[in-house]
Amino acid sequence: MMGTIEALINLMMADQVAIPLLDPILNILYGIPLLGYLLAFILWKPIFAGLVCPGFATLGVILMLFPWIERKLVARMQWRVGPREILPQFGGIIQLLADSLRFLFQEVIVHRDAKQPYFVQFPVLSFIPALLPLLFIPAGVIVAVKSAYGVQIILALVCLFPFFILGLGWASNSRFAYIGTVREAFMYFAYEIPFIIAVLAMIVLYGTSDPVAIAGMSVPGIILNPLAALTFFIAAAMATSRLPFEIAEADQELAAGPHVEYSGILFGLIYVMCYEKMYILSGLMTILFLGGGSGPEIAILGDLSGVVYFMIKTVIVMTLLAALRGVYPRYRLDQGLKIGWSSMLIMGTLALVISLAEVLIL
Amino acid sequence: MMKEEETRNINIVNSEPLSPLKKWSAKWSLWPCHFVTSCCGVELAHAYGCGYDGERLGSLAMGISRQANTIIVEGTITRKMARPLRVVWEQMPDPKFVNVIGACGERGGIFWNSYHITHPHRIVPVDFFVPGCPVTPEALLRGIRALQDKIEGDDRSTISFRTVDLSGAGGKKNRVPESPKIIAPTPLVKPDIPSGVRWEEGEQIVEMLKKVLGELVISITVTDKDRIAIKTTPENIREVAARLSAEMKIDHVKSVNVIDVPHERKFIIEYTAGSYEKELMPVLFTIFADLRSGKDEISFPSLADIWMSADYTERELQDFFGVKFEGNPGREGNFLLAPDTPKFPLRRSFKLEEERYVLEDDKPFAPVIDPPTEFDIPLPPGLEEEVGAAGEYLLLVGPHHTGSGHLRWIMRLKGDTLSEVIPDPGYVHRSMEKLAENRLYIQNIPLFERLCIVDPFNVNLGYVRTIEKALKIDVPERATYIRTLMAELSRIDAFTYDAGIFSLFMGHSTGFMYLWAIREMLLEMITAMTGSRCSPSFIIPGGIRRDISDEVLNLVEKLPTAVQGRLRKFEDIFVNNPVLISRVKGVGVLSREDAIKAGIVGPFLRASGVEYDIRKIEPYEAYGDLDWEVIGADDGDCLVRFLVRLEEMQESLNIVKQCVEKLKSMERGGVMSEAILGEYSEAKDDIRGSFYRVFGNLVLPRGEWSTVTEAARGTLFFSILSDGDSNVPYRVRTISPSWYNLRGIIEASRGEKMADFWAVYGSFGYFPPEADR
Repeated sequence: MMGTIEALINLMMADQVAIPLLDPILNILYGIPLLGYLLAFILWKPIFAGLVCPGFATLGVILMLFPWIERKLVARMQWRVGPREILPQFGGIIQLLADSLRFLFQEVIVHRDAKQPYFVQFPVLSFIPALLPLLFIPAGVIVAVKSAYGVQIILALVCLFPFFILGLGWASNSRFAYIGTVREAFMYFAYEIPFIIAVLAMIVLYGTSDPVAIAGMSVPGIILNPLAALTFFIAAAMATSRLPFEIAEADQELAAGPHVEYSGILFGLIYVMCYEKMYILSGLMTILFLGGGSGPEIAILGDLSGVVYFMIKTVIVMTLLAALRGVYPRYRLDQGLKIGWSSMLIMGTLALVISLAEVLIL
Repeated sequence: MMKEEETRNINIVNSEPLSPLKKWSAKWSLWPCHFVTSCCGVELAHAYGCGYDGERLGSLAMGISRQANTIIVEGTITRKMARPLRVVWEQMPDPKFVNVIGACGERGGIFWNSYHITHPHRIVPVDFFVPGCPVTPEALLRGIRALQDKIEGDDRSTISFRTVDLSGAGGKKNRVPESPKIIAPTPLVKPDIPSGVRWEEGEQIVEMLKKVLGELVISITVTDKDRIAIKTTPENIREVAARLSAEMKIDHVKSVNVIDVPHERKFIIEYTAGSYEKELMPVLFTIFADLRSGKDEISFPSLADIWMSADYTERELQDFFGVKFEGNPGREGNFLLAPDTPKFPLRRSFKLEEERYVLEDDKPFAPVIDPPTEFDIPLPPGLEEEVGAAGEYLLLVGPHHTGSGHLRWIMRLKGDTLSEVIPDPGYVHRSMEKLAENRLYIQNIPLFERLCIVDPFNVNLGYVRTIEKALKIDVPERATYIRTLMAELSRIDAFTYDAGIFSLFMGHSTGFMYLWAIREMLLEMITAMTGSRCSPSFIIPGGIRRDISDEVLNLVEKLPTAVQGRLRKFEDIFVNNPVLISRVKGVGVLSREDAIKAGIVGPFLRASGVEYDIRKIEPYEAYGDLDWEVIGADDGDCLVRFLVRLEEMQESLNIVKQCVEKLKSMERGGVMSEAILGEYSEAKDDIRGSFYRVFGNLVLPRGEWSTVTEAARGTLFFSILSDGDSNVPYRVRTISPSWYNLRGIIEASRGEKMADFWAVYGSFGYFPPEADR
C-alpha cells in the first residue's frame, strides 16, 4: 500500500511543473505530509494541464473575465464606458460575477411546450465538447493527454458543438428557436469543410498532428501559410457566431435564436458556452498558427513561461474575434452560406495547395 | 393583479439563504428586456446610448424577456399594449422588477382621458415611477439607481401625498371654474365652404373636372388655393374615383376621413386625393359624399381597389366609426383598436371624460380605467387555417421583440421567404383625433407633438400651419427663419434616429452609437433654443414662443461642423461597410409605379424617382428664399432609401447654416404676428404671460382647412374641420408619414428573404407612435 503511494508520488515528482521562481516555497511545502502530496498531484503536468491551465481554472477565469473584456472593448469602440459602477476602481471587472450569480438565483422556467428532459439536459451536456478538447491543448510543454492525433481529436470534439445547439433549439420547441436552429445547421455545413481543410493544410505542412510538436515548430504557421490562418479565423468567427456571421442568433431577427426560451442558470450556461468555444478555437489557432507557447524564454518562470505566452496569444485572438462585433453588421443566411461554400472553400483549398507545394519544394 | 404580486419579487431577493448575494447580484445586473411601449422609448435609447450609457450600472439592454429581469415601461400603455405587457411580465423569471417612466404611465399624462389607454400599475406591480413627458435619460437612470437601492433595502419613496382640507374654503361648488370650452350643440358642418381666396388655375381645373365627371357630381367648389372639393353621392363615388384616376391622373389618396354629424343624421365620407403629375402636384381634391346614418349597418363603397393607398386608412376608420367599407380587402375584426376598446369611439355619441378642476365628492382627478382581463391578442379569424393550407407557417414578431418596434408583424413564411407580412398596428394608438375634438385649439399643440417626439418641430409646424391658414395670418420673417431652422434640426433629429435604428436592425450597434452621439449634440442644441429635449411645443399660431438669442445662434452655427466630423466616422464604419452594402443593395425595391400605388411619401418616394417635396412645390416658411436642392434617386431599394436621407441630412445642415447667417443679420425681436396678438402686442417678442389671454378663445372660421407639410419622413397631413362657433375643432384628421409608409414596408418586403424584412423596415424609418396617432 505504502509502496504504491510512494511509486505514485515518485511518478508525479518526476513530471512536475518546473517553476524556479517558486522553488524555495515549493520545496518547503513538499515536505509537509498531506499538503505535499496534494501539491505534487496538482503540479503533476497532466493534472496541472487539466485542472489549472489551460484547463478548468483558466477556463473559469476566462469565462468570468472575457465577456467583461468584450463588453468593455466594444463599449470603447462605441464611445461608451461599459460596465463600471459595480467596482469603479477596477472598471467594473467583477460585472460577470454579478450577472452569473443573478442567473444562478433566478427562476428557471421550463415552459409547457418544451421537450422536457432534453430542454434541461442539453445546456449541461454541452459542457462535454467544451471541456474535453482542453485536455489535448498544450500550453507550452504542459498538456494533459499527449497524442499524435491531438489536433484531429480537438477538431472532432469542436465539431460536436453545433449538435448541442441544434439539440437545445429543438428542445425549446419555439418558432424563433426553430428558425435559429435551422440557420445554425446551415451555417455549420458552410464553415465546417473549409475549417477542416485549413487545419488539414497545417497538418500536411508540419507533417505531424501532435499539438505539442506543432507548437514547438520554429516558424509560426501564420507565416508559412497565411491563407490557412485567414480561413481558420473566418471559420472560427462563423463557428462562434460572431458578427458578421451572427446569423443563427440574430437578435433583431430571431430574438436570440436557439436559446430564446432559456432562462436562469440554464441560459447562463449557454451564455458562457459561446465563450468556451471561442477559447478552444483561439487556443487551437494559437497552436496551429501562432507557435503555441513559444516565445523568448522567461527563465524564472520555467514551464509557466510557455503557459504565459500561450494565454497571451489566445486572449489576443479572442479579443480580435470579439472586436468584430463593433465593426460589422450581419450577413443574411444565404450570403453566409455563399461565403462558406464559395470564397472560403476556395481559400481553404488554395491553402492546402500552398502547404503541399511548400512540403514538396522545400 | 393579486396583492401578493406586489411584494413577491422583493421578498425573493430578501429570502434566506444567501440573501446578501441575491441582493447584490440582482442589484448590479438589472437587464431590461426590449419592450418599447411608447415615445419615451426614444429617451430609453438615449439612456442606453453612448451619451449616458446605462451599461455603466451593469444594466445591459437585453432583448429577451426570459433572460432579462426588468421591464421599463415607457410611457403610455394602451389597451392593446396592456396585454403583451402582462404576458411579457409573466414570461420573465422571478425575481423581476418594473419601472414605469413617463407621465402617461402614471395617470395617463396628456392622454389621461383617452379611450384607448390604461394604467400599467393595474396590470403589473410597479416598483418605481419616473415622471416626465418624456423623461430625460438622467431621470431614467436615476430610476434605475432608485430600483437598485430598493433591492438593497432602501426604499426611498420621494413622493408622499399630502392631504389638503378643503372644507373650510367655502363650499366646493364655488371653487369650480367655468370650463373654457364653448361647444355649439348643433353646428353647421360643411367641408366645402369657399374661403374667398382667388386662384385662377383653379377655375380651369374645375372646368376640366366638370367635363370629366359630368352628371356624377353634385357640386365642385374651389375651397382655397390648391384645394378643390367635389361633392357626390355614395352611389356615384366609385365611378368618380375611377374617372379621376384614369383621366385626371389622380394616383394616390392623402387622407380618408369620416365626419359624424349626428344632429343631421349623416356621416360625411371624405377622400382627399392628389396626383404626382408635375402640374397637379400641389392640388388636393376632396371628394366627399353624405351617408345617411341611423341604420344599423352603415356601409360605404370602398375605393381601395382604385387607390391602394386608401386601404389601411379605410380599415382604421372602420374601427373608429363603424362605417363598413364594402369591398375593402381587410380581414374581420379590429385593425387598430384592442378587442375590448369601446365600440366606434370616434362617433360623437361617444363622450370622453371631462376635466374636473377641483376634487368633487372626494374623487381624485383621474378616471378609473378598468384594465383588460384577457391577455392574448387574437389573430385575424381564419388566418391560421389559410396559412396552413398554403403550406406556409406563421411567425409573430412583436410587440415584444428586439426587431419589432411597438407593433406586431404577422409574417407568412414559406421556408425563408416572406410571402406576406400582415401589420397589426395600434399598440400605441393614443386616440389623438378624439382627444383633439375635446380640447382648445391651443391645447392640441403639445398633444399632436407627441405624434413623433423625434420630429417635434415638423409635427408642430404642420398643425400650426393649418390654424394659420384658416385664420389667414402671416408670420413675421424672423419667425419663419427660426421655424425653418428648427424644422431642419428636427429633420436631422429624425434621420439620425431612424438611421440608428436601421443600423441596429442590421446588427451594427456601433453605427447606432455613433449616431446617438450626433443626436446628443442636436438635442443639446434644441434644449438651448427651446428648453426641452424633444417636446418643446415652441411653434405657435402666428410665430414662435420667444426669440432666440445671439449666443444660442452662435452655438447652432457650430453645429454643422461638429455633426459633419462625427458623421464622417459613421460613414466610414457603417455606410461604406461592404457587409452593409451587400445586405441592402437591390433589396426591397419599389418601382415608381409601385411606390405611388402603395402611397409612400417623403424621401422614400423620392428614392423611387418621384420628385415630390412639399418644401419646393408649395414653399412654406422660408424655404422659398433659401438655396437648397431636392434629393432624389431612381433605384428605390433599401440602400438608396437610406442614402437619400443621408444626403438630405447634408442639405438640412446646409439650410441650417443659411438660416443662422440670415438670422444673425436680422434685427432681433418681433417673432409674433401682430394680427393674432391684437391688444396684447407687447407679447410680440415673448409670449410668456399672455399665452392664454391671446389664444384661449381662438375660433377658426367655418370650413375645412387642410395642409400638407414635409415632415422628416414625408408628407404630414392635417385637416381641421371647424364649425365656426366652437373653440374646439369639430374634427381633426391627421395622417402621419409613417402611416403612409406602412403600406410601403408591406409591399417592399413581399417575396424577400425573412432577414431582409429588417432591412426594409429599417430603411423606411417607421416610427409606430407616429403611425398609430
